[in-house]
Amino acid sequence: MQSLSRHLIRAVLVAALVVIAFQNGNAQPSGKGKTPVWDGPKVTQIDIDGLRKLLKPNGKPVLINFWATWCDPCREEFPDLVKLDAAYKGKIDFYTVSLDDLADIKTYVPKFLGEQKAEMPAYLLKTPDDNAAIALVSPEWTGNLPLTILLKPDGTTAYLRKGIVKYATITAEIDKLITPEAKP
Amino acid sequence: MKRAILLFTAMLVFAVSASAQSLAIGATMENFSLPDGTGKMQTLDGLKGKNGAVIMFVSSQCPVVKAYNERMNAIAADYAARGITFIGINSNVGEIEKTEAKPVGWVKDHIAATYKFTVLFDKGNVLADKLGATTTPEAYFVDAKNVLLYHGAIDNDKSGANITATYLRTAFDSALAGKKIERTSANAFGCTIKRVE
Repeated sequence: MQSLSRHLIRAVLVAALVVIAFQNGNAQPSGKGKTPVWDGPKVTQIDIDGLRKLLKPNGKPVLINFWATWCDPCREEFPDLVKLDAAYKGKIDFYTVSLDDLADIKTYVPKFLGEQKAEMPAYLLKTPDDNAAIALVSPEWTGNLPLTILLKPDGTTAYLRKGIVKYATITAEIDKLITPEAKP
Repeated sequence: MKRAILLFTAMLVFAVSASAQSLAIGATMENFSLPDGTGKMQTLDGLKGKNGAVIMFVSSQCPVVKAYNERMNAIAADYAARGITFIGINSNVGEIEKTEAKPVGWVKDHIAATYKFTVLFDKGNVLADKLGATTTPEAYFVDAKNVLLYHGAIDNDKSGANITATYLRTAFDSALAGKKIERTSANAFGCTIKRVE
Protein backbone atom coordinates (compact mmCIF):
# COMPACT_ATOMS: atom_id res chain seq x y z
CA MET A 1 0.00 0.00 0.00
CA GLN A 2 2.87 2.34 0.94
CA SER A 3 4.68 1.46 -2.30
CA LEU A 4 1.50 2.19 -4.31
CA SER A 5 1.21 5.67 -2.71
CA ARG A 6 4.86 6.39 -3.49
CA HIS A 7 4.30 5.42 -7.15
CA LEU A 8 1.18 7.57 -7.25
CA ILE A 9 3.01 10.61 -5.81
CA ARG A 10 5.86 10.14 -8.28
CA ALA A 11 3.41 9.92 -11.20
CA VAL A 12 1.64 13.11 -10.07
CA LEU A 13 4.98 14.94 -9.74
CA VAL A 14 6.09 13.89 -13.25
CA ALA A 15 2.71 14.94 -14.68
CA ALA A 16 2.99 18.31 -12.92
CA LEU A 17 6.48 18.88 -14.36
CA VAL A 18 5.24 18.08 -17.87
CA VAL A 19 2.37 20.57 -17.46
CA ILE A 20 4.73 23.30 -16.17
CA ALA A 21 7.11 22.74 -19.11
CA PHE A 22 4.18 22.97 -21.54
CA GLN A 23 2.81 26.11 -19.92
CA ASN A 24 6.19 27.83 -20.21
CA GLY A 25 5.60 28.06 -23.95
CA ASN A 26 8.03 25.20 -24.55
CA ALA A 27 10.77 27.78 -24.10
CA GLN A 28 13.36 25.10 -23.71
CA PRO A 29 16.38 24.64 -25.89
CA SER A 30 16.06 21.65 -28.16
CA GLY A 31 19.15 22.12 -30.31
CA LYS A 32 22.46 20.45 -29.63
CA GLY A 33 24.76 23.01 -31.33
CA LYS A 34 26.45 26.00 -29.79
CA THR A 35 23.41 28.22 -30.45
CA PRO A 36 20.41 26.71 -28.72
CA VAL A 37 17.14 26.47 -30.66
CA TRP A 38 13.93 27.11 -28.76
CA ASP A 39 10.58 25.59 -29.63
CA GLY A 40 8.71 28.79 -28.80
CA PRO A 41 5.98 30.50 -30.82
CA LYS A 42 6.47 30.48 -34.58
CA VAL A 43 8.21 33.58 -35.91
CA THR A 44 7.75 34.22 -39.62
CA GLN A 45 10.38 36.03 -41.66
CA ILE A 46 9.06 38.89 -43.80
CA ASP A 47 10.62 41.35 -46.22
CA ILE A 48 9.37 44.81 -47.14
CA ASP A 49 6.51 43.32 -49.22
CA GLY A 50 5.43 41.28 -46.22
CA LEU A 51 5.51 44.41 -44.11
CA ARG A 52 3.40 46.22 -46.70
CA LYS A 53 0.77 43.44 -46.38
CA LEU A 54 0.72 43.74 -42.58
CA LEU A 55 0.13 47.48 -42.91
CA LYS A 56 -2.98 46.82 -45.01
CA PRO A 57 -5.97 46.27 -42.69
CA ASN A 58 -8.44 43.54 -43.45
CA GLY A 59 -11.64 45.12 -42.13
CA LYS A 60 -10.41 45.54 -38.55
CA PRO A 61 -8.05 48.02 -36.89
CA VAL A 62 -4.45 46.83 -37.01
CA LEU A 63 -1.95 47.21 -34.18
CA ILE A 64 1.73 46.58 -34.93
CA ASN A 65 4.55 46.64 -32.41
CA PHE A 66 8.12 46.89 -33.73
CA TRP A 67 10.62 45.54 -31.23
CA ALA A 68 13.86 43.60 -30.71
CA THR A 69 15.20 41.35 -27.99
CA TRP A 70 18.20 43.69 -27.65
CA CYS A 71 15.92 46.65 -26.89
CA ASP A 72 15.38 47.17 -23.14
CA PRO A 73 12.18 49.28 -23.34
CA CYS A 74 10.77 46.78 -25.86
CA ARG A 75 11.16 43.96 -23.37
CA GLU A 76 9.84 46.15 -20.59
CA GLU A 77 6.56 46.92 -22.34
CA PHE A 78 5.92 43.38 -23.60
CA PRO A 79 3.77 42.16 -20.67
CA ASP A 80 1.36 45.02 -21.40
CA LEU A 81 1.24 44.05 -25.05
CA VAL A 82 0.38 40.46 -24.13
CA LYS A 83 -2.36 41.78 -21.84
CA LEU A 84 -3.61 44.00 -24.65
CA ASP A 85 -3.71 41.07 -27.06
CA ALA A 86 -5.80 39.04 -24.64
CA ALA A 87 -8.22 41.93 -24.08
CA TYR A 88 -8.76 42.68 -27.79
CA LYS A 89 -8.42 39.25 -29.37
CA GLY A 90 -10.72 39.03 -32.40
CA LYS A 91 -11.52 42.74 -32.25
CA ILE A 92 -8.29 43.98 -33.79
CA ASP A 93 -5.45 42.37 -35.74
CA PHE A 94 -2.35 42.62 -33.59
CA TYR A 95 1.11 41.70 -34.92
CA THR A 96 4.60 41.98 -33.54
CA VAL A 97 7.53 42.64 -35.87
CA SER A 98 10.99 41.88 -34.55
CA LEU A 99 14.04 43.71 -35.88
CA ASP A 100 16.42 41.14 -34.49
CA ASP A 101 19.03 39.47 -36.68
CA LEU A 102 17.72 36.68 -38.87
CA ALA A 103 20.02 34.31 -36.97
CA ASP A 104 17.79 34.84 -33.91
CA ILE A 105 14.54 33.78 -35.58
CA LYS A 106 14.69 30.30 -34.06
CA THR A 107 16.56 31.20 -30.91
CA TYR A 108 16.26 34.35 -28.82
CA VAL A 109 13.11 35.72 -30.45
CA PRO A 110 10.85 32.65 -29.87
CA LYS A 111 12.49 32.14 -26.47
CA PHE A 112 11.45 35.61 -25.35
CA LEU A 113 7.98 35.32 -26.88
CA GLY A 114 7.53 31.95 -25.18
CA GLU A 115 8.59 33.36 -21.83
CA GLN A 116 6.07 36.18 -22.29
CA LYS A 117 3.35 33.70 -23.36
CA ALA A 118 2.79 35.93 -26.40
CA GLU A 119 0.15 34.60 -28.76
CA MET A 120 -0.09 37.39 -31.35
CA PRO A 121 1.30 36.52 -34.79
CA ALA A 122 5.03 37.19 -34.68
CA TYR A 123 7.20 38.29 -37.59
CA LEU A 124 10.86 39.14 -38.09
CA LEU A 125 11.64 41.79 -40.68
CA LYS A 126 14.73 41.20 -42.78
CA THR A 127 15.41 44.00 -45.21
CA PRO A 128 18.55 45.31 -46.89
CA ASP A 129 17.14 48.83 -46.59
CA ASP A 130 16.03 49.91 -43.09
CA ASN A 131 15.29 53.36 -44.42
CA ALA A 132 12.66 52.15 -46.90
CA ALA A 133 10.93 50.01 -44.25
CA ILE A 134 10.90 52.87 -41.74
CA ALA A 135 9.48 55.28 -44.33
CA LEU A 136 6.80 52.73 -45.27
CA VAL A 137 5.56 52.56 -41.69
CA SER A 138 5.46 56.30 -40.99
CA PRO A 139 7.20 59.51 -42.04
CA GLU A 140 7.24 60.38 -38.32
CA TRP A 141 9.47 57.42 -37.47
CA THR A 142 13.26 57.58 -37.48
CA GLY A 143 13.79 53.90 -36.64
CA ASN A 144 14.04 53.99 -32.85
CA LEU A 145 12.56 51.02 -31.03
CA PRO A 146 10.02 50.26 -29.76
CA LEU A 147 7.39 51.69 -32.06
CA THR A 148 3.70 50.89 -31.88
CA ILE A 149 1.32 51.93 -34.60
CA LEU A 150 -2.47 51.64 -34.63
CA LEU A 151 -4.13 51.72 -38.03
CA LYS A 152 -7.77 52.42 -38.74
CA PRO A 153 -9.61 49.89 -40.92
CA ASP A 154 -9.01 52.24 -43.89
CA GLY A 155 -5.23 51.98 -43.34
CA THR A 156 -4.65 55.49 -42.04
CA THR A 157 -2.76 56.00 -38.80
CA ALA A 158 -4.94 56.40 -35.71
CA TYR A 159 -2.10 56.47 -33.18
CA LEU A 160 1.67 56.17 -33.19
CA ARG A 161 3.87 55.78 -30.15
CA LYS A 162 7.66 55.98 -30.22
CA GLY A 163 8.87 54.44 -26.98
CA ILE A 164 6.99 52.45 -24.34
CA VAL A 165 3.22 52.41 -24.79
CA LYS A 166 1.01 53.42 -21.91
CA TYR A 167 -1.66 50.76 -21.50
CA ALA A 168 -4.46 53.22 -20.68
CA THR A 169 -3.60 55.41 -23.67
CA ILE A 170 -3.42 52.63 -26.23
CA THR A 171 -6.65 50.99 -25.03
CA ALA A 172 -8.43 54.37 -25.22
CA GLU A 173 -7.19 54.78 -28.79
CA ILE A 174 -8.31 51.27 -29.76
CA ASP A 175 -11.70 51.82 -28.11
CA LYS A 176 -12.28 54.80 -30.40
CA LEU A 177 -12.01 52.45 -33.40
CA ILE A 178 -14.19 49.58 -32.30
CA THR A 179 -17.92 49.34 -31.64
CA PRO A 180 -19.06 49.83 -28.03
CA GLU A 181 -20.18 46.19 -27.86
CA ALA A 182 -16.72 45.02 -28.85
CA LYS A 183 -14.96 46.87 -26.04
CA PRO A 184 -13.51 44.58 -23.38
CA MET B 1 -4.71 91.10 -22.17
CA LYS B 2 -6.52 88.60 -24.42
CA ARG B 3 -3.99 89.28 -27.17
CA ALA B 4 -1.13 88.72 -24.71
CA ILE B 5 -2.59 85.36 -23.63
CA LEU B 6 -3.06 84.35 -27.28
CA LEU B 7 0.49 85.36 -28.12
CA PHE B 8 1.86 83.45 -25.12
CA THR B 9 -0.15 80.37 -26.08
CA ALA B 10 1.07 80.58 -29.68
CA MET B 11 4.67 80.90 -28.47
CA LEU B 12 4.22 77.92 -26.17
CA VAL B 13 2.74 75.77 -28.96
CA PHE B 14 5.59 76.84 -31.26
CA ALA B 15 8.17 75.98 -28.60
CA VAL B 16 6.64 72.54 -27.96
CA SER B 17 6.33 71.70 -31.65
CA ALA B 18 9.82 73.03 -32.37
CA SER B 19 11.34 70.86 -29.66
CA ALA B 20 9.55 67.79 -31.03
CA GLN B 21 10.84 68.35 -34.58
CA SER B 22 14.26 67.47 -35.81
CA LEU B 23 16.60 70.23 -36.95
CA ALA B 24 16.04 70.64 -40.69
CA ILE B 25 18.73 70.17 -43.31
CA GLY B 26 20.12 73.61 -44.14
CA ALA B 27 19.24 75.02 -40.72
CA THR B 28 21.97 76.34 -38.46
CA MET B 29 22.73 74.45 -35.28
CA GLU B 30 23.18 76.74 -32.32
CA ASN B 31 26.44 76.46 -30.45
CA PHE B 32 26.05 74.37 -27.28
CA SER B 33 28.07 73.80 -24.15
CA LEU B 34 28.11 70.46 -22.31
CA PRO B 35 30.47 68.72 -19.88
CA ASP B 36 32.78 65.90 -20.90
CA GLY B 37 33.57 62.88 -18.70
CA THR B 38 35.93 64.93 -16.53
CA GLY B 39 33.34 67.65 -15.95
CA LYS B 40 35.10 70.15 -18.22
CA MET B 41 32.67 72.22 -20.28
CA GLN B 42 33.13 71.85 -24.02
CA THR B 43 31.39 73.66 -26.84
CA LEU B 44 30.48 72.77 -30.39
CA ASP B 45 32.46 75.74 -31.69
CA GLY B 46 35.46 74.79 -29.56
CA LEU B 47 35.56 71.15 -30.68
CA LYS B 48 34.57 71.63 -34.29
CA GLY B 49 37.17 71.04 -36.99
CA LYS B 50 37.93 73.50 -39.78
CA ASN B 51 35.45 71.69 -42.04
CA GLY B 52 32.78 70.93 -39.50
CA ALA B 53 31.69 68.35 -36.96
CA VAL B 54 29.50 65.33 -36.45
CA ILE B 55 27.27 65.36 -33.41
CA MET B 56 26.77 61.65 -32.78
CA PHE B 57 24.19 60.47 -30.25
CA VAL B 58 25.50 57.36 -28.49
CA SER B 59 24.64 55.07 -25.62
CA SER B 60 26.83 52.73 -23.62
CA GLN B 61 23.99 50.21 -23.36
CA CYS B 62 22.56 50.14 -26.86
CA PRO B 63 23.66 47.02 -28.79
CA VAL B 64 23.27 48.83 -32.11
CA VAL B 65 25.70 51.54 -30.96
CA LYS B 66 28.06 48.82 -29.75
CA ALA B 67 27.98 47.30 -33.24
CA TYR B 68 28.95 50.69 -34.67
CA ASN B 69 31.62 51.77 -32.17
CA GLU B 70 34.60 50.48 -34.17
CA ARG B 71 33.23 51.98 -37.37
CA MET B 72 32.66 55.32 -35.63
CA ASN B 73 36.27 55.39 -34.42
CA ALA B 74 37.53 54.45 -37.88
CA ILE B 75 35.47 57.18 -39.60
CA ALA B 76 36.49 59.71 -36.94
CA ALA B 77 40.17 58.88 -37.47
CA ASP B 78 39.86 59.02 -41.26
CA TYR B 79 38.25 62.46 -41.28
CA ALA B 80 39.95 64.16 -38.31
CA ALA B 81 42.92 64.96 -40.54
CA ARG B 82 40.51 66.42 -43.09
CA GLY B 83 38.99 68.83 -40.60
CA ILE B 84 35.82 67.04 -39.51
CA THR B 85 35.57 66.27 -35.78
CA PHE B 86 33.37 63.68 -34.09
CA ILE B 87 31.54 64.79 -30.94
CA GLY B 88 29.72 62.03 -29.09
CA ILE B 89 26.64 62.97 -27.07
CA ASN B 90 25.14 60.76 -24.40
CA SER B 91 21.62 61.94 -23.49
CA ASN B 92 20.36 58.73 -21.89
CA VAL B 93 18.83 59.31 -18.47
CA GLY B 94 20.15 56.10 -16.90
CA GLU B 95 23.70 56.72 -18.04
CA ILE B 96 24.11 60.12 -16.38
CA GLU B 97 24.21 60.82 -12.65
CA LYS B 98 20.90 62.03 -11.22
CA THR B 99 22.40 64.90 -9.31
CA GLU B 100 25.30 66.00 -11.52
CA ALA B 101 25.92 66.32 -15.25
CA LYS B 102 28.47 63.52 -15.32
CA PRO B 103 28.36 59.88 -16.42
CA VAL B 104 27.64 57.10 -13.97
CA GLY B 105 30.83 55.20 -13.13
CA TRP B 106 30.62 52.29 -15.54
CA VAL B 107 29.58 54.56 -18.42
CA LYS B 108 32.60 56.80 -17.78
CA ASP B 109 34.87 53.74 -17.90
CA HIS B 110 33.14 52.36 -20.98
CA ILE B 111 33.43 55.62 -22.87
CA ALA B 112 37.07 56.11 -21.92
CA ALA B 113 37.84 52.58 -23.11
CA THR B 114 35.77 52.76 -26.28
CA TYR B 115 35.83 56.12 -28.05
CA LYS B 116 38.74 57.91 -29.63
CA PHE B 117 36.74 61.14 -29.72
CA THR B 118 35.19 63.38 -27.07
CA VAL B 119 31.84 62.37 -25.59
CA LEU B 120 29.71 64.97 -23.83
CA PHE B 121 26.89 64.43 -21.35
CA ASP B 122 23.49 65.94 -22.02
CA LYS B 123 21.78 65.83 -18.64
CA GLY B 124 18.02 66.21 -18.95
CA ASN B 125 18.34 65.49 -22.72
CA VAL B 126 18.22 69.22 -23.43
CA LEU B 127 20.34 69.05 -26.59
CA ALA B 128 18.51 65.91 -27.80
CA ASP B 129 15.22 67.78 -27.41
CA LYS B 130 16.55 70.86 -29.15
CA LEU B 131 17.76 68.86 -32.15
CA GLY B 132 14.85 66.40 -32.09
CA ALA B 133 17.22 63.44 -31.74
CA THR B 134 15.42 60.19 -30.87
CA THR B 135 17.73 57.33 -31.72
CA THR B 136 21.17 55.94 -30.99
CA PRO B 137 23.23 56.01 -33.08
CA GLU B 138 22.06 59.17 -34.83
CA ALA B 139 24.40 61.61 -36.61
CA TYR B 140 24.13 65.34 -37.31
CA PHE B 141 26.85 66.57 -39.67
CA VAL B 142 27.36 70.34 -39.70
CA ASP B 143 29.79 72.39 -41.74
CA ALA B 144 32.19 75.03 -40.41
CA LYS B 145 29.31 77.48 -40.07
CA ASN B 146 27.18 74.95 -38.16
CA VAL B 147 24.81 74.45 -41.09
CA LEU B 148 23.27 70.97 -41.01
CA LEU B 149 24.33 69.03 -44.10
CA TYR B 150 23.36 65.45 -43.20
CA HIS B 151 21.23 63.81 -40.53
CA GLY B 152 20.63 60.17 -39.69
CA ALA B 153 22.28 56.79 -40.00
CA ILE B 154 25.98 56.03 -40.40
CA ASP B 155 25.43 53.41 -43.10
CA ASN B 156 22.78 50.92 -44.17
CA ASP B 157 23.88 47.83 -42.24
CA LYS B 158 24.25 47.72 -38.50
CA SER B 159 26.05 44.37 -38.61
CA GLY B 160 28.72 45.91 -40.84
CA ALA B 161 28.85 42.77 -42.98
CA ASN B 162 26.77 43.94 -45.94
CA ILE B 163 27.20 47.70 -46.18
CA THR B 164 26.12 48.99 -49.57
CA ALA B 165 25.59 52.66 -48.66
CA THR B 166 28.03 54.59 -46.50
CA TYR B 167 25.76 57.58 -45.90
CA LEU B 168 28.00 59.51 -43.52
CA ARG B 169 31.31 59.00 -45.37
CA THR B 170 29.60 59.87 -48.65
CA ALA B 171 28.22 63.08 -47.12
CA PHE B 172 31.72 63.98 -45.83
CA ASP B 173 33.35 63.28 -49.18
CA SER B 174 30.79 65.34 -51.08
CA ALA B 175 31.08 68.26 -48.66
CA LEU B 176 34.89 68.16 -48.71
CA ALA B 177 34.88 68.09 -52.51
CA GLY B 178 32.51 71.04 -52.57
CA LYS B 179 29.82 68.92 -54.22
CA LYS B 180 26.12 68.67 -53.47
CA ILE B 181 25.29 65.95 -50.92
CA GLU B 182 22.87 63.68 -52.78
CA ARG B 183 21.44 61.96 -49.73
CA THR B 184 20.97 64.37 -46.86
CA SER B 185 19.14 61.99 -44.50
CA ALA B 186 18.64 58.28 -43.91
CA ASN B 187 17.00 56.35 -41.11
CA ALA B 188 18.00 53.05 -39.58
CA PHE B 189 16.75 50.90 -36.73
CA GLY B 190 18.31 51.75 -33.39
CA CYS B 191 17.68 52.33 -29.69
CA THR B 192 15.41 55.02 -28.30
CA ILE B 193 17.21 57.78 -26.38
CA LYS B 194 16.03 57.32 -22.80
CA ARG B 195 14.68 60.69 -21.75
CA VAL B 196 13.80 62.10 -18.35
CA GLU B 197 10.13 61.53 -17.46
